[in-house]
Order: sequence, then C-alpha cells, then structure tokens
Amino acid sequence: MKKRWLFMLLLAISMVISACSGESAGNEAEAESDTETEAGSEEKTEVVFWHAMSGELEGAVQKIADDFNASQEEIEVKPVFQGTYEEAITKFNTVAGTEDAPTIMQTFEVGTKYMIDSGKIQPVQKFIDEEGYDTSQWEENITNYYAVDGVQYSMPFNSSTPVLVYNKDAFEEAGLDPEKAPATYDELKDAAKKLTNGDQVGFSILNYGWFFEELLAAQGGLFVNEDNGRAGNATEAVFNSEEGLKVFELISDMYNEGTFYNTGQVWDDMRAAFQSGKIAMYIDSSAGIRAMVDNSPFEVGASYLPVPDEANRQGVIIGGASLWMTSDIEEEKQQAAWEFMKYVTTPEVQAEWHLQSGYFAINPAAYEEDIVQEEWEKYPQLKVTVDQLKDTKPSTATQGALISVFPEARQKVVSAMESLYQGVDPKEALDRAVEETNQALEAAAKKSGN
Amino acid sequence: MSWGQKLFTYALLLIAAAIMFFPIIYAFLISFMQGGEVLQGNLWPEEFTLANYINAFEKVPLLTYLFNSLIVSFLIMLGQVIFSSLAAFAFVFIPFKGRNVLFFIFISTMMIPWEATMVPNFQTVQMLGWLNSYTGLTVPFFAMAFGTFLLRQQFKTIPKELYEASQVAGISNFRFFRSVVMPVSKTSLVTLGMYCFLTAWNMYLWPLLVTNDEQVRTVQIGLKQMQSQEISTEWGVVMAGVVMVILPTLLLLFLGQKRLQEGLTKGALK
Amino acid sequence: MSLPQAQQETQSFVKQRWLGNSRRFASLLEGLLYLLPSILLFTVFLFYPLMKTLYLSFFYSDAQGVPLSFAGFDHFVQLFSSSSFMTSMKATLLFVLYTVPPGIILALALALLANEKLRGIGFFRTIFSSTMGMSVAASSVIWMFMYNPAIGIANRFLTWAGLSEIQWLLDPGWALISVSIATIWMNTGFTFMILLGGLQNIDSQLYESAKIAGVSRFYSLRKITLPMLSPTLFFVITVSMINAFQTFGQIDILTKGGPMETTNVIVYAIYKDAFINYNVGSASAQAVLLFFGILIVTLIQFKLGERKVHYQ
Repeated sequence: MKKRWLFMLLLAISMVISACSGESAGNEAEAESDTETEAGSEEKTEVVFWHAMSGELEGAVQKIADDFNASQEEIEVKPVFQGTYEEAITKFNTVAGTEDAPTIMQTFEVGTKYMIDSGKIQPVQKFIDEEGYDTSQWEENITNYYAVDGVQYSMPFNSSTPVLVYNKDAFEEAGLDPEKAPATYDELKDAAKKLTNGDQVGFSILNYGWFFEELLAAQGGLFVNEDNGRAGNATEAVFNSEEGLKVFELISDMYNEGTFYNTGQVWDDMRAAFQSGKIAMYIDSSAGIRAMVDNSPFEVGASYLPVPDEANRQGVIIGGASLWMTSDIEEEKQQAAWEFMKYVTTPEVQAEWHLQSGYFAINPAAYEEDIVQEEWEKYPQLKVTVDQLKDTKPSTATQGALISVFPEARQKVVSAMESLYQGVDPKEALDRAVEETNQALEAAAKKSGN
Repeated sequence: MSWGQKLFTYALLLIAAAIMFFPIIYAFLISFMQGGEVLQGNLWPEEFTLANYINAFEKVPLLTYLFNSLIVSFLIMLGQVIFSSLAAFAFVFIPFKGRNVLFFIFISTMMIPWEATMVPNFQTVQMLGWLNSYTGLTVPFFAMAFGTFLLRQQFKTIPKELYEASQVAGISNFRFFRSVVMPVSKTSLVTLGMYCFLTAWNMYLWPLLVTNDEQVRTVQIGLKQMQSQEISTEWGVVMAGVVMVILPTLLLLFLGQKRLQEGLTKGALK
Repeated sequence: MSLPQAQQETQSFVKQRWLGNSRRFASLLEGLLYLLPSILLFTVFLFYPLMKTLYLSFFYSDAQGVPLSFAGFDHFVQLFSSSSFMTSMKATLLFVLYTVPPGIILALALALLANEKLRGIGFFRTIFSSTMGMSVAASSVIWMFMYNPAIGIANRFLTWAGLSEIQWLLDPGWALISVSIATIWMNTGFTFMILLGGLQNIDSQLYESAKIAGVSRFYSLRKITLPMLSPTLFFVITVSMINAFQTFGQIDILTKGGPMETTNVIVYAIYKDAFINYNVGSASAQAVLLFFGILIVTLIQFKLGERKVHYQ
C-alpha cells in the first residue's frame, strides 16, 4: 500500500514538473519569438488575426496568410481560430485593450453596430485617407454595408447573399422548365404546388432571421426606422410593413397548402432535406452552393430571390463578416494589418478566395481572372449569385439595417416564423416580433442613454 | 438462475446494448461516408476508406490536440481526486463546528451557472498570466464539489468503529486516511477518476478561451474547427474526428471496467 | 459517547472545558487544513464570480458588460413580468421532470441487469457505460441526424412500424421530449456506472440469507437492494437534478431554444442574454435566480433525503 502511495506521489510530482516545464518551454518559445521580433523588429511585425472560419474555410484563410507572409519580409500574419463569431466576440471583449488583444478581428455582419459602439476599434477609413487609397475598385454593394456616414469602418472579408436553389430533375419531372426558376411569389407558389407530390414538398426557408431580412429588402422594405439605422440610432422596428407581411403570408399560405416544409434552424438539416429529395426548392447562402452542386445526386439550379408580383426588385443585402482593426495597439502593427488587408483585396487573392470559399470577391476585377472564368463554366450557379449582387440597386434597404440588438431581433423573427407553423396569423406573429424588438431597442437605448 | 431466466436476461441485455450502442455505431459508419452520402440519409457507407481520417488529421493538428487533452485531463483528474478525497475525509471523519454548513456551501458551488463564471475567471487567469498554459487549463478545476460529495457518500459507509479503533491506537488522522480510507474506497476512487478524466476530456469553451496557440489546444476545439456554419459541413470528416476523440475515452472506460472488476473480486475490506 | 470523552468527565470541570475547547479548536483547524485547497480554489473561481454576478444583477451595464448605473431590482421585476422568462422556467422544470426520474429508473434497470453474474457480463457493462465517454457535442450531432425529419433514422423507424412521422425537434409539442430522450441517453452511462458500483458494494450474504428465507426477488429488491443502495441513489438523484438544471450543450446544438422557445431552458436563456444579446444585467439576474432556485431545491432534498438514507 505504501509503495502505491509513493508511486502516486511521484507521479503527481513528475506530472507537475512536466507541466511546469511544458509551460516554461512555452514561455521560452514565446520569449524566443519575442527576442526574435525585437532583434529584427525592423523586419517582422506580428499581426495576430482572430477568425471564426472553421471547416474548409479555415484552410483558405490559412493559405491567404501563408502566401502573404511569403510575399514579403516585414510582416508575419498569424491567423488564430477563436470559435464561433459569438465566442470570438466574447473573448475579444474581455481582452481588448490588453496585450492579449489581436490586431485584426473578424466579426459577423450583425455585430457591426456592436463593434462601432464598443470604442475598441480603429476605422480603416483613416488608412484609406492617409494613403489616398482608391476604394472605387471595390464592389459598392459590399462595402456599403460596413460604411456609415461615408466612413469605412471595417474591411469586408467573407461576403455572401441568399439565392433560390432548386432541383432541376424534379422540375423536369413536374413538367416545369428547369432553366426558368420562379421569379415571383405567384410563380413560386405554382411551381411548389406542382412539385409537391408523394414524399416531396415544394419549398422551404430555414427559420433564420437573415432570410427574412433578405426577402424584405428584395422588395425595398426597411427593417428599422431612421433609414434602417443608417441616419441615426434606430428606435423602432418597422418590418411589419406591407413588404414584411408579404413574406410572412407567403410562408403561412404555402405551409397551410402543404407546399412548404419546415426545416427548423439548422443549416445542415435543411441541406439534408434538399439532397434527400424531401424539398425541391429552398433558399441557401451563395457560399454554400458549390458544395450542394457537388454533393447532390441530381442537377442543381440557382436563381435570384423571388419577389411579390407587383414589387420592384431591389436586390440583396450582403451577409457574412468583415475584418476590424483594433485600437490601442502600436501604430506599426496597425499599419502592418492595413498592408495585409490591402493584400487580401487584390484581384488575384480575391479570385482564389472566391473559388475556394464560395464567398464573393470584394474586388470585382477578380471575376475577370482566368481561373474564375473557367470555374464559372463548370459552375454557372456561381455566376448567378454574383449577377444578383451586381444587379442590386444601392439603397438604405439593400444596404442593410444597423442596429445594436440585431442578434436579439433575429431571435424574435425566428420565433415568429415558427409560430406560423402553429397556425398563428401572419400579421399577429409579425406584430409581436416587432413589439418585442422594440422592447429590446428601448432597453438598449436606456442603457446607453443613462 | 434457471436456463429460461438466463436466456431472458441475455435477451434483455442484448436489446438494451443494441439501443445504447446504436448512436456510437452510427457515428462510426458516418465517419466513412464521402461527400453528400451523409445528407442523403444513407446508413451504410458506399465503401470503407480511410480518406476522412486522413483528411481530419490534415485539417487540424489532431495529434498535438490529443496529446494536450491527455495531459490536461490527466492533471485535472489527479488534482480533483486528491482535493476531493482530502475534503471528503474531513467532512466524514473530522468533527468540527459548522461542518454541515460548510459541506452544503461546497455543494452549492455545483449550482453556479457556468455562464456566470466564464468571463470573471478568464480575467483572473489572464491576470495571473496563465493564458496559453496547462496551468490555466487545469488548476481552476482542481476543486470539485461533485467529487467531494461522491467520496463523502462512500466514506460514510466505512464503519465508524474502524476510525475509533485507530484513534485509540494513536494512529494519526492522515495515516488513517491514506492507509485505511483510500484503499477501502478504491472502487469509488477509480469511478471518480474516470469521471473526472472524461469530463475534462470533453471541455470545450474554457480551453478555447484561455488558449491562443495550437501548441496547448485540446481535441474538442479541433472538432469544432472541422465544422462549418454557412457552407455545408463535411460530416464524414467531423465524425472521423469524433471517432478518433472517443477511442481513447472508450478505451479508458474498458480498462477502467476491468480494473473495477478486479478490485471487486479481490473483495476489498467489507 | 466515545471513550476519551468519558474519561474526561472524571476530570475537573474547568480543565474539561478548556480541554474540550482546545480539542474542538484543533479539530476545526485540522478539518480546515484538509479543506483548504478546495476552499481556496472555490473562492477564487466560483464564489468570486458569483459575487460579481450578484453585483451586476443590480446594475444597468453597457454591451461590454461595464456597469453604468444602479438598477435596484429592475431586472428581477422585469423578468417576473416577462412571458419569455415564464416559458423558460416552465421548460426548465419540465426538462428536469422528463430527464431525471426516467433517466434514473432506466439506469437502475440496466444496473440491476448488469449486476447478474453471467458470462460475458463485462462486455455489457462496458457498452452500457460507454455513453459516459461521448462528449455532449459529439452526441448531440449524432442525435441531430437521427432526429432529422427528412433523413433521420427515428422517422424511418416510425414509418417502418406503421406510425406517422414526427417533427421531432420542430414541433413545439415534441421538441423538449426529443431533447430529453437524447439527454437521458447521454447521462445513462454515468448514472449506470455509479449505481452498478453501489449495487456491487452490497454484501452478497444479505441476498443469500434472503434466498434461504425464500422471499421473492421483488421483495428482496424492495427490502434489501433499495435501502442498501440509498446513499448512492441519493447522490445520483441530487447530482442528476443539478445537472438537469444546468443542461446547455445539447440544447444549443439541437434546438437553439426553439421552436417558439419551448426548449429555452434558463441556462440557455442566460447564455443568449450574456453572450449573444449582451444584456449583462438581465443575464446576471437570471443566473442569480437559477442559483438560488437550485439551492432551495437541493436544500429541501438534503433535509428530506438525508434522513431516509441508510448508512452502514
């Protein structure tokens, strides 16, 4: 018995020692790299880049950083995965202003207002002005989202929009033209009716606030007042307008007719429903489309978002995330981060990014690159997504809403969408979501007002 | 047991085992599926290749992560077992005023929602300079009400006479603790150790917060790294990762079971 | 009364008092010495954050979590008047009800089965405890596929059995039950293992004498097994309850609190408020309420339970 205890104790001690040595080894490595940077401080500036890109995307991000690091001697960009967007923000929020803070931080589009208000970021406009950088080469419909009052706050990075995705084989079987997707709500309803038979249901939208916002903006509807929060702090939600109601009525009508399938709020559940032939049409992110084409056992088509018959098509809002530069760090690091951001927006890099990730190129010149043109031959669906964005008319509706309580507003919209399947009246559901969003806005105003 | 009874018991055992184990088998099967197979709802992969496993290892430094998880989980297990048994011993064998109140305060720590502790603890660890180290990953978890509670229940089944006799014989409390209490409670200690190890193995959010460096990150972060949101996840690869991550734990369970069996057949003091 | 104490009684009153006190004091010191490591860590990593949360629950904070102005009981008043919080409370209580009693009964049944001395029983024990090795994240993803209305095995099984399909995670009437089933599966491994350990600690002589007395198996289960198992059962019930109140991972992956907030248990509501909506004050208030809620339930359990528990 004694022996065993001795053994346990020794084990414990050895573990502690190894832990400490492991730690100190880590410290040493750190110290080493510190001295390295100090010794060659003129040469290498470290730019820590926090991102939330997982799966395939992480590889694409890493490649951009590697290529950049190899392309010059002065700057070393280090991408670090920090979990989901929410997890990354939580962590950023805690370390901002300390030496553990990153130089570049990736944040999702609904966190835009939060980042602006946080006071922990440096708008990139400063560098654009200092250098006289020509921003006209960027796609206006993308950069607009991240600009307020003419000030560019962050650099768009991964940008996507929604598109209508449909099963061409099913279209043929139902006697529909597989090259002509429904463009209006009436056409959509008709098509869905014809496509619904046996196990197959016509249409589906994920219960996710983003899709509602997009369908709203496609008709020119606003989400909140004060020009979608662009002219000042939004105080009221206005998405229970005519346009918003159209969207909810569409879902409700189709669901009651049995031509709409509820796929919940998990992206992969929705895709599984499509790939297994349970649904024939649905709305997906442009970024996900290529994988769908590759992995579906049938021909896949993509087309513009449908709008109500009488509506004037406005286009889409950009989704995805952007890169923010943190404040309270050395000028030198910020400058280095800016160099990296500029590199990221070059046509060559954007072309590759577009192909690898499925996200848009911020720099439309990228689409002229040969590699993109070749790929578009193979995947004409990708071109559809880009065209839809190009055709978008810049306005406060398609610029997207700017509100601090965006995540909460989305949850309310999701609850309202879910209540439609329980037979709640579309108007009532929508009004309730608006009311709850107003409460959230009010609470937020109270906090910042005090 | 009669022949019929035996057959019946086996039938029940088999059915229960099939149900309990099905999800794990399912994960295993998915880990061999390519591309859209998973989302098309197939149960059986078209072919058994190791492509997903190779892909998983290429995508994230899984070996480093596995090694880190091993160290972190082992340290936490050791810390928790030692701290818990010390505390439980005091709660059972050393009478002092306010013991019950203190015990309940211990138990109350289990009720603190983790959301409340996450950010302040992160700040504490940052202040202590423990970010990116095994220390920051392990030390905050060493104290454990659950383990104290489990061992207290076990220690309570040790006959009081034994303790009184040792007192009379002038044996110190600590000696009594390590040469009587600990050996007698072997089964519980092994069970607790396994539990601690597995819980630590499955931690995700804390390791994500306190590390920035792949050198100290753990496997659950790796699993999350393989999944994506907006574009479709390659579930085959993720499940290959899951299988790699649960293999060590299943192995541990298997060995632990064996160890428990041996301990029991030897007939510890009873 | 123990022997040393009896001896003391013969000594003078004053001396006895003094000795008693110092002994008690020494005992207290020694006890605290054993507890010191735990107390230290608990203070730094659990009680300090708890106090901070308590403090924040009385303040309006900005989105970064910096307290701005005193709010008094505003957050609490608001919570009790919000229907969403009431839904959360209901979901939480139902979730505890759906997972704890069925989970423990199932694990106990499995443990009783696996306690039989049969050839190859070790294999079954490993299988039954295997879910203990599965992380919540991994298990949830697997269940997500099984529940998928289009491709999931759950619906295939129903159709095969001639029943109509169920929208497992999407129907407000089913979502909480579906999450509970997945949770029971995840918890069984651990509960099973603890209960099996408890069963094997029971003296086999008891059963043998019962056999000789010729009592039925059910009678010996009720009169020997359950009483002897009571400390373990008490432990398992308490811990399962606390864990059920704190369940988070599977909800996050399977339903995100939906549909229509039917699975929005309090821990998940806190998470959303704290890490997604940045309502630090409200999140803190809910955390405080949850803490005291579980505290009271557990306190009652200790008062009622510990008395009934049979220690050797």
